Order: sequence, then C-alpha cells, then structure tokens
Amino acid sequence: MTRLMAISPLLVVALGGVLLMLAEAFSHRREEGDVRHTGPSSELALGTAVTLLAGAIMAAAVWMVGPEKLETLPGLAPYYVADRFTLFFTFTICLGGALAALLAGGYLPEHKLDRGEFYPLLTFGTVGAILLAAAGDLLSLFIALETMSLAVYALTGFRRTSPRSTEAAVKYFLLGSFAAVLLLYGGALLYGATGHTDLAGIRAAIMHPAAAKPANLALVLVAAALILCGLAFKVSAVPFHMWTPDAYEGAPTPATGYMAVAVKTAAFAMMLRVLVGGFGDGALASWAAGWPPVLALLAVVTMTGANLVAGRQESVKRMLAYSSIAHAGYVLVAVATIPRASEEAQASVMYYLLAYTVSTIGAFGALVLCGSRGAEAVSYEDLAGLGKRHPAVAIAFTLFLLSLTGVPPTAGFFGKWYVAKTTIGAGLYPLAIVLLLNSALAAYYYLRVLVYMYMRDPAPGAPIAKPMRSGYVVGALVIAGVLVLALGIWPTTPIELAVQAALTAR
Amino acid sequence: METLRTLFPASNFALLAVILGLPLLGAFVNGVFGKRLGKEGVRAMALAAIGGAFLFSVVTFLMLPHAAAEGAPAEKLVWNAWRWMSVTGRMGQSIPIDVAFSVDAMSATMMLVVTGIGFLIHLYSVEYMWEDPGFARFFAYLNLFIFAMLVLITGDNLAVLFVGWEGVGMCSYLLIGFWFTDEKNASAGKKAFIVNRIGDFGLILAISMLVYYVGSLTWNGIEANAGALLTPVKIWPIGNLSAETLPGFLAKILIPAKPVQVYASTLVGLALFLGCAGKSAQLPLYVWLPDAMAGPTPVSALIHAATMVTAGVYLVARLSVVFLLSPAAMATVAITGVATALFAASIGFFQTDLKKVLAYSTVSQLGFMFIGVGVGAFAAGFFHVFTHAFFKACLFLGAGSVIHAMHARIHDVNKSQDMRNMGGLGRYMPITRWTFLISCFAIAGFPMSAGFWSKDEILWKAFSNLPLAPPASKTVPMWAWPANLGPAIYWLGILAATMTSFYMFRAYFMTFHGKFRGWEIVKGWKAPASHGHDDHAHDDHHEAEESLEGPTPRESPWKMTLPLVVLATGAAFAGFLMAEPIHIAPLGHLLEPVFEHASKAMTEREGAKGLMWPMMLPGLGAFLAGTGAAMYVYLNRAGEPERAFAASSPRFYKLLVDKWRIDELYDATVVGMVDALADIFTMADKWIVDGILAKLTAGVVALLGTILRAVQTGRVQVYAASMVIGLLGIGWFIVQPHAAATIDDTKLKQNGQVVLAAAPGLGYSYLWEGPGIPPAKDYSPVNQLSVRLDPGEKKDIVLHVRNAFERETTTTIPLARAGAKRMGDPGQNQVPEVRQLPTGPIPGERIQELLKPGGFQ
Repeated sequence: MTRLMAISPLLVVALGGVLLMLAEAFSHRREEGDVRHTGPSSELALGTAVTLLAGAIMAAAVWMVGPEKLETLPGLAPYYVADRFTLFFTFTICLGGALAALLAGGYLPEHKLDRGEFYPLLTFGTVGAILLAAAGDLLSLFIALETMSLAVYALTGFRRTSPRSTEAAVKYFLLGSFAAVLLLYGGALLYGATGHTDLAGIRAAIMHPAAAKPANLALVLVAAALILCGLAFKVSAVPFHMWTPDAYEGAPTPATGYMAVAVKTAAFAMMLRVLVGGFGDGALASWAAGWPPVLALLAVVTMTGANLVAGRQESVKRMLAYSSIAHAGYVLVAVATIPRASEEAQASVMYYLLAYTVSTIGAFGALVLCGSRGAEAVSYEDLAGLGKRHPAVAIAFTLFLLSLTGVPPTAGFFGKWYVAKTTIGAGLYPLAIVLLLNSALAAYYYLRVLVYMYMRDPAPGAPIAKPMRSGYVVGALVIAGVLVLALGIWPTTPIELAVQAALTAR
Repeated sequence: METLRTLFPASNFALLAVILGLPLLGAFVNGVFGKRLGKEGVRAMALAAIGGAFLFSVVTFLMLPHAAAEGAPAEKLVWNAWRWMSVTGRMGQSIPIDVAFSVDAMSATMMLVVTGIGFLIHLYSVEYMWEDPGFARFFAYLNLFIFAMLVLITGDNLAVLFVGWEGVGMCSYLLIGFWFTDEKNASAGKKAFIVNRIGDFGLILAISMLVYYVGSLTWNGIEANAGALLTPVKIWPIGNLSAETLPGFLAKILIPAKPVQVYASTLVGLALFLGCAGKSAQLPLYVWLPDAMAGPTPVSALIHAATMVTAGVYLVARLSVVFLLSPAAMATVAITGVATALFAASIGFFQTDLKKVLAYSTVSQLGFMFIGVGVGAFAAGFFHVFTHAFFKACLFLGAGSVIHAMHARIHDVNKSQDMRNMGGLGRYMPITRWTFLISCFAIAGFPMSAGFWSKDEILWKAFSNLPLAPPASKTVPMWAWPANLGPAIYWLGILAATMTSFYMFRAYFMTFHGKFRGWEIVKGWKAPASHGHDDHAHDDHHEAEESLEGPTPRESPWKMTLPLVVLATGAAFAGFLMAEPIHIAPLGHLLEPVFEHASKAMTEREGAKGLMWPMMLPGLGAFLAGTGAAMYVYLNRAGEPERAFAASSPRFYKLLVDKWRIDELYDATVVGMVDALADIFTMADKWIVDGILAKLTAGVVALLGTILRAVQTGRVQVYAASMVIGLLGIGWFIVQPHAAATIDDTKLKQNGQVVLAAAPGLGYSYLWEGPGIPPAKDYSPVNQLSVRLDPGEKKDIVLHVRNAFERETTTTIPLARAGAKRMGDPGQNQVPEVRQLPTGPIPGERIQELLKPGGFQ
C-alpha cells in the first residue's frame, strides 16, 4: 500500500473519475432543454472539483513527505517518474481542472448543455495531463498525450447543436492528429537512432556517441525537429497555433478555460521533460545550433504575432484565446533560457504557469459570470457599462485582467518579472526586451476591456450582457482571486518550491 | 495589579495590543457592517471600543514602572509585535525595524488624553451626528483615527510613528471632507492632505538621515547614538560641483571660498521640524488648519485641536535629544513658534466665524507649545499640549453646542457659525455658556487655571533657559544661542497672550452676551413640516427672508453637555498636575526621567535668578489687558469700537479679516507655478505623446494585426500548411550547420592570449585556419583554439564547421589587440606591457574604499 503513495495523486483522480462516471450513468439523466434549473451538473461539478482538489492536496502531501523517501512500484520508473517536478505540475493541473469544473457547474445548466459526460471527460483528461507531466518514456508520454487530447477534443465539440463547436472540434482533431503523428514519427526515429525509448537512455546515447552502438546523429537531429514541431503544436506556438482561436472560441467557456490552463500546463511539462531530460546535453542544447534558438525564435514570433492579432479582435473570448497564445510565448522565453540558467529558468516556467493558471481561469470565469443564457458576453460591446451595472463582477474581471497584464501586486506581475529576471540574468537581453515590449502591447487589449466596462455606456438598444447567478462560478472566482493576490504578495515561497521541483540538468 | 504585572511584564506588554486593537475593531465593524448594525449598534460599538481603550490606558498608566523615583533609569513598557524589515546601514550593519510599541510617562499621558477626550467626544458626537445619514461612516473614521493616533504615540520607533502619522493624516482628510458632496469641504480636505505632504517630505528626509547617521530608528537607539549627529556635513557646493566643473562667472557666484558645513543634527532637526510644522500647522504651513474646520465640529475638537495637531509637538519632545544637539534647530523651532503665535492671534482678531476664531487660536496655541519645546522646556511644552487638549476641546464642543442650537432655524453652515448672528445665548444655554467661559479663562491664562500654569511655565522658561552648546568639532563652529533671544521670545509671547485673551473674550461676549441676533424669537414656534432638521445641505431660502422667526434657542441634551462639564473641570484644574512654581507637580515628576538629558543641557540665564514670581506679572497683565479691552469693546459698547476701527482704516481691517491674504499669496505663487507646469505637461502629453507617438504606434500595430489576422481564414488546410511551414523552418535550421564562436579575451591585455571556443552542435566537427595556426588536415572534434596576439596586431581566424549531415559552413573571426605596434624581439615587448597594466581590480577597490565608513564626507 505504501508503494502506491508516490502515485496517489494520480490514483485519486483516476478513481474519482471512474466513480463520477458511474454516478453519472446511474443518475436520472435529464434531457436537454429541461426548464428546471438544477441538473446533474451541480452535484457532478462539485464531485469533480472535490476529486481534483483532492488530487492537488495529495500532491502537496506527497511533497511534504518527500517523494525521494517513498518506495515505488518496481518497473514504474521511466514510465511514471514520481519526483517533485511531477508533483508540482500535478498540483497546478489539478487546481486548474478543479476551477474549470466549478465554472462548468454554473455554465452548463445556464446554457442548457447540462449533460453529465462533461465531468468524466474532464477528469480523465486530467489523468492524461498528470501522466504527461510524469512520463519519462516516449511510450507512456504518447499514451498520456492521447488520453488527454481525446478528452479535450470531445470537450471542444461538447456544444453539439452549434456548428461552430463541432467545426472547432473536427479542426482540432485533424490538426492534433497531425501533430501527434509528428511526435510519434520523431519518437520512432529516436528509437531507431539510439535504441531507447526512455528519455534518460536517449540522452545518454546522444551524449556518448562512442558507446557500444553509436547513435546516428543525423537521424537524431531530424527526430528533434519533428518532436519540436509536435511540442510547439501542443503549447500552440506560432505558426502551429492556428487551431487555437477556433477551438477556444467553439468550445464551451469552461472547456476553453480547461484547455487554456490544464492542457497547456501539461504540454509545457512534457516539453520540459523532453527538452531537459532527453535533449539536455550540451550539443543539442547549444545556443548556436540546438533547440534553444529555435524556441527563442518561436517565442518571439508567438508573443508578437499573438499580441498583434489579439488587439484586433472584437470578441473577448477570442481575445483571451490569443492572449493565451501570447502567454505561451512568454513561457517559451523562459524555456529557451534553460541551458543558460537551468533551475531558475525552470522555476520561472513553473511559477509562470501557476500564476497563469489562476489568472486565466479567473478571466474565463469572469467572462462566464458576465453572461447568461441569451445574453452571453461575447464582444467588447456586450460589456459596455458593466462596471456601473454590476460592480462586483467587473471588479473580479478587472483583477484577473490586471494579473494577465502583469500589474503588481498580482501573480501575473511576478510571473513576468521572474521570466524577465532569468532572461536578463542569462544575458539574453534582446529576448528580454522583446518580452517587455510585448507585455506593453498586451496591456492595450486587456485594458480595453476595462475601458468598455468602466468608461463606456452601452449603445441604446444594443444587446448587453446580463450576469448569471451561480455559487459555483463565484466560488471559483473567489478561489482564483485569492490565489492571484496571494501569489502576488508572497511570491517567494512558490518560487522556492519550484526551484526544488526543477529537473536536474545532469 | 500584581496579576496584571505578571500577565503583562514590562518587556512584553501585550496589553497595548488590546488598546490598539479595540479602536481598530470598532473601525472595522462600523465601517463594514455599520449599515446593518443600525445606529444603536454603531453607537454601542464605537463607545465600547474607545471606552475600553480608555480603561486599559488608565491601567497602563498605573502600571508604569516607578523606577525613576529610585533613581534608576526610566523603564518603559514595551511590546514588540513583529519584525517588520531590516535595512543595511552605512557601516554595513543590519538595522532591524520592528513593529514595536512602548509606553513611558509621556506617551501614557498622551494615551490618556487621546482615549479620554476621545471618549467624551465620541459621546458628544453620538448626539451631534445622530441625524446624519453617514452616522456609521463617521464613527468608523473616528475610531480609525483613535487607532492611528495611538499608533503614533505608542510607536517605539520612527517608522511605526510614521505609519500612525500618515494614518491620522488620512483620517483627518476623510473627516474634513466628511460632507464631501460640498465642493468646499472636499477641497479643504485636499488642501490639508497636500500641505501635510510637504511636511511629510521633511519627516521622511529626517528618517532617512537618522538611519544614515545614527543607524537606528528606535527611541533608545537614537538616544544612545545621537552623538553621531555631531558630524559636520558639507551642504554646499553639492556633489562634485566645484570651480573646475562650472563656467567661470557661475563659479564666482556659486562657489564660496570655504565649503558651507553644518552639523548633521541641525539638518535632521530642521527636517523633522518641517514635518512637525506641517502636522501642527506652523508658519508657513498653517494654512490647512483653519480650512479643516469644514469638517463636523466634534472632529475639529478631537483632531484639529486636542490630539492630531499636537503630534508635531509630541515628536519634537520625543526626539528632544536630536534638537538639543543643535541650538540652531531649537532656535528655529522657538522663533517659528512665537511668530506663529503672534501671526495667528492677529488673524483671530476680527474673524466672525466662531469656529474660525477657535481654529486660529489653536494655531496660536500650537505656536506657544513650540516655543516651549524650542527653548528646551520640553516638559512645559508637552504640558501645554495636555492642558490645551482640555480647554480647546471644551471650546470647540461648546461652539458645536451653539451651532447645534443655531441649526434650529438657520441651516446654512456659514451663517449658523457666524457670531454676528448669535449673541445673548448665555441666557438660553447656561451650561454651554459657563463651560465656555471657564475655558476662555483657561486659554487666556487666568491665574490658577490650567492654561495659566502651562503658558506661564513656557514663557518663564523662554525667559530663563539658555541652551548649552553641545561639544562641537574644531573646524565647524556651533551656532550659539544669543543671550537676548530668550527675553525677546518672552515679550513677544506676552504680546501674543494679550491678543489671545482679547479675541477669545471677544468671541465669548459676541456669542453669549448682548441681544440675540439670529432670528425673531417667537414662543411656541413650530417648524414647518417639510423642513426636517437632518438636512445639512444649503437650504437658504429661509435666509432670503428679511426677518426670520424661530423658537427659543435650547440647551443641548446631556450627551453633549456632560463632555462639556468634564472638559471644563479639566480646564479649570488640570494645571495643578504640573504647577511648578507652587511645587505641586505630579506629572512633572513623572515626566522627569523622559526629559532627563534635556534638563542637563539647559542652564539658567544670568540675571534670571529669582525673577520667576515677578515675571508672572506681565502674564497676568496680559490677561487683564486683553480681557478688559474685550469687555469694554464687546460687552459695554456692543462692538462699536470695532466698527469705528474698520471705518477709520478699512484697508488694514480688511487685510486682517482676509487673514493677511496668505492663501491668495500661495495661490498666486506655489499653486500658480504648479498649475502652469501642469499645463505645459498637459500640452506636451496631448500633442506629442497622444498625438504623434500614440497614433503612430497604434496605427502600425493595427496594420500588422490586420495583416496577420487575414491569414486566419478558418480553412483547416491553411492551418495545416502553416504547420508545415513551421516544420520546414525548424527542419532547415536544424539541418543547417551554424558556425559561431565565443571569444574569451580576459587575458588579452595581460599577455595577448585569446581563447576561441566554437559553439557546440550535435555531430559537429571543426577545422581552424589562420595565421600562426598549424594547418590541420581534416575536421576534428576539437572546438577550442588558443591564439596569441602582440600589441597592435590583428588576426583573422577562419572556422569551418561540418555537421552530421556532412554539410559545411565557414565563419571569419577578426581578432585585434590595442596598443602601439612594436618591432623587435618579444622580450622587449613584455616590459612596457607590464608597466601599462591597468591592473584590473583597482577600480573595484576604489569603490570599496568609498563605501567604508567615513567615506562619504
């Protein structure tokens, strides 16, 4: 039993998912279009949130015990690496998932999408995400990736009657398959070149070409290029990002929030595992010819491109989609500096993802709260005058947008600050300058929401958003808001924890 | 008592947490739940909080260690809450700054005043503000003020004091602008805040200098290390300004033959005093206090008369050790004090607004307090704070009671406070009248009243004290206190006291004697139903009518008169707590250890011995002259001489009524200058920043965004194509070889050695070419190359790189070394090289040198 302790966060979530599925199956299913307000969602949403928060708490508990001290199952090692890195990401992912589930508890009944399968999908997607953060082997990595992706595809198309939702799901599925193929092909080539599927073995084979069976380095390079493309797709870096706005806009907003935080966090965990664990040796992580310059270029293109387009959006939800792309760009900056400043850079990635998780889920949650059935908040115009009509909602939205902008004392500010600090510390001044310019650019479209909420009055006769009433959404916003401020006021503790969680570069 | 002593030992006196916590709790509860609690609940909360704080303050006062009596050093009750932060001093030492509170005799007395008078004023306000819609908000602010004031007086270091200092400033701002819907009140609040900021700048400066020179912010630390303040500081020319760095004619004007040096203690003292002058409304920063009377009258009584405004005096007394080290700073304090006392008294002469008269008398009395602390009579100055709190609070509350009565018929704020509309109220409001009269006697210095003892003590000390010059350095002479400065201050103080008794009794007679001028009194008059008493808004159509009818003015209810009676009792008898001339001075004994060092630094002026009793006579004369004149003019002749004076010299009279037009002067100079500057910046912002820069960048960004957006067509094929482009780009980058090298030239200047390291890459092999490099046959994994350069030599190194795909590329690295090219054998080259070595670490060492103690002088 004690051997299961190390993987207890995963087990809690997985078992919870099975139970939720059973509960959903045996509960009285209600048809769509029922006029009564409470549906199966309410209980299931709470169950899911509790399950995922339990996962997060288990992760914290295992952290306190110390995963190094725990005995694990034999043979688990490369397939599920039970280290602090996994625990940190498990915590972030579960937190994001739990908040998304709470949002769904308010959103789905309000918009007559009250079907119970949302929650098992979300829970199993989270299982995939946790596995992905823990995978130290290309085989389990791929399985985890597909587990997560399939759940998310289904969540994207959850709004069955909406052609836009269905279209988004199909597009996401097609392109996602494409990216998965690139990853798989890259993995196969790596296996061919090195004879290993576990990342540590691959790394050893690359580092010591004079070993028993020398690796075919040309093949390794091709494989690296393919895998980088697959990773870039999953974190939606420009130019692999084009599915993102469509999928984010088509999916129901809680699912969008889930994709923007939990899925993206897991994808970055995978990226760190592969790049630091597998491709971390000096030759492949070279600043002249390896993956760091590729990522730096991707980061610059991603930040700039996403911010430029985000400024031109009329839909707030689509703007948030582009903003999540831009944030991926900021994180990529930190990832690119890992060869120069290993622990600090990884810690800044992890802190950023944590800060980004609470801010983004809060922003999507505030957007959910702003709208009700038939009067959903979509465009900037819908939000005009919200600050006067519904000050509490507007204040919450403002807090999260300020955090996304990076205004102290919010979590977002310290996220950006740590990334900029490591980048400057690593001597990559141009990258830091581009990052800071881009944050200024991003302020334009975040603050534009505030301008509409507080300084504009709705045009006479124009549709205006009517806030919904939901304890779940409010609860999620309160949790997220407290965390945004807490992370912003006491940023050093999470950063210290993240430094402990960093993967060793050796 | 013994139980309490064990429960709260002097070194960890957590009872202070209760005293501080109660008002804070009250503020929180009333502020957040005030609307729901209802008026009764708010009243209970506010009174309980302050009453509790008062009771515990009494306990604290009784528990003060009486070690002083046995000759031991004064002990304090200390509560160290938590470590706030720690800063690094100039010696590199760590200076802890704690959230710590301590109580000694002075702060305990202040605590009693603040919570005791605060409680009475809370009780009074319950009645006064009962009809106000902002009842809960008012008490939340008032409780918050008490909390901040207690932080100010119990803080054990300047940092905590500063928190309280700013806190009372904020509460004052909130309460002055309490009826913020009126433009006048809101701008009075702003004025108070902004003028105080000017003073706060000085205080912050003083705090920084104390950290720098003394290395401590706690009272004990400052006292222990104050000697460090006797450091001469060069104040002009500043920085590296010197005859060399300036053009000739400027140098002649600006650079004196000898640099101007003053003592750090003078700088710190003056900066501190700037802060105190702001908070305690001294020249030239007094302008905010008269306007602050726009707030509710209990606020004027509590904050702008009895407690907050005396914080400056408290701070000077608290940091007396700093001032004693600088006779110049003390003289500044004393002279500013006497000038303010005179100046404010002259303005008070012909004001017609009852609250304005009291406001200027407050400014004037604060001047007296500063005379006290300025001439080294810290205990006397502080005692005047104490007595003034009683009689001035009583006067203000009395004025509030009168205004309350006037509100029965006159709702306009200005007219209900105008003494020309009053008169004869003594008949209708006996309690208010008698308490007001007692307080007038006290403030005018009637013998044996509270004001007499404190004021005469101050003036006597001004006459007799001569501050000793502290031991000075030989190079910079210490400014010495001239022998006749004290008597000059004394006689000017007597003049101010005469004026005080005149205008105070003028106010008394105009308000309570003569014929009632407010309205036609009609017995059994009933208010028209539509006009409730609760609207404080301007309601002036009544006043438009020529003759106004109204009811008989009524005495205020007991909640308002009880505080008046208590305070008037204090005004009459509180003086006996420190009646030094007749040797009844329990408070004086208590304060002795606090100002022990101060008494040592003072000496009695020659020729003052034995003159104490005779020198009281001018004070008595001042009272008689002022009061008699007021009685003659306003009681016997009903103000006729004032009108005659106004008619004979109208311009001077108008100047006094317009308060010397200082506000107009400030408007024209300081405010006007700032406004002009703001206008310039606004223009620049509008045309350059918003006009050109913003439009241009926004246009470019929008254009790029539109172009990029056009790619997002929604067709999945385009999306896939974009991914393929990304894949091809990454693939191309990875397949392509990249030749780059880092150059390590740290040893270039020493021996001409440069180490080149080619950037690594997976499967890369390298080939180096260049002059002086042995030619290699083929690519090898060696990625480092060491090159030697002679001075002035240039070399081009060529790096060939081949990658795993057998693709090759080349780059050229130019290397050069500065210095003259020398011919001859390398052995000779070495010698001059060594000589011209800049020896790397030296600049760094210089900086270290500067950072050492004593480096910056």
